[in-house]
Amino acid sequence: MSVKIRFFARFRELLGTDVIAEFAPGTSLTGLIKQVAGKNKEGYDAIFDENGTFREFVILMRNTKRVDPAESGNIMVTDGDEIAVFPPVAGG
Amino acid sequence: MIAIQNEDVDIGKLIDEAKQRGTGAIVLFDGIVRDDDIREMELEAYEEVALKELEQIAAEAKKQFDLLSVDIVHRIGRLAVGENILVIIVGAGHREEAYAGSRYIIEAIKAGVPIWKKELRKDGDRWVPGHRPHGCGTNWKSDGST
Repeated sequence: MSVKIRFFARFRELLGTDVIAEFAPGTSLTGLIKQVAGKNKEGYDAIFDENGTFREFVILMRNTKRVDPAESGNIMVTDGDEIAVFPPVAGG
Repeated sequence: MIAIQNEDVDIGKLIDEAKQRGTGAIVLFDGIVRDDDIREMELEAYEEVALKELEQIAAEAKKQFDLLSVDIVHRIGRLAVGENILVIIVGAGHREEAYAGSRYIIEAIKAGVPIWKKELRKDGDRWVPGHRPHGCGTNWKSDGST
């Protein structure tokens, strides 16, 4: 089973874009992002604090819908999901 | 026209096309790359989501301010100082609605649409800090509060 994780802006520079990740059944959204971000310490530290909690500014989307990072530990990823992880927006 | 694109936009043509029988006012907002001692600006978007959100903002603005037309073109890619970043053209029967609708749209874009800017500076590159933690959508209010 696999999902696509899309990082944007600074997170993309640190972790790459359109990362395809394999995952085990029962993996949460938080667990999946930790698994992928863990491959680059600077990238991991940009997203998670020292307690392994999402930094307060991190924005998550699953299949283009926003997800509260505080809830993402209880959300299981499913095959084919598209997950997006990005910092605060600055368009306009 | 609601678009996210690399190419520049023909503002005069969009204004001409926005004019309808009931149009009494058109307000143009043109966001431009400012010379803050930068070489260039690089813009990036989560395009599928950003486009959908721009469409939702345009629809909401039309409904809320009784607008006759809304065009939004947000550019991405590398832009030089003086280039257009964001063009918003709002048409309405009267100036009050046109001004209010235009203001609503720019503030809603800044509040939540997934687009990022990086300044390519002479003394090193820098991501422009976002305006809101969690960027949770288009809840900008017409009185300017959030």
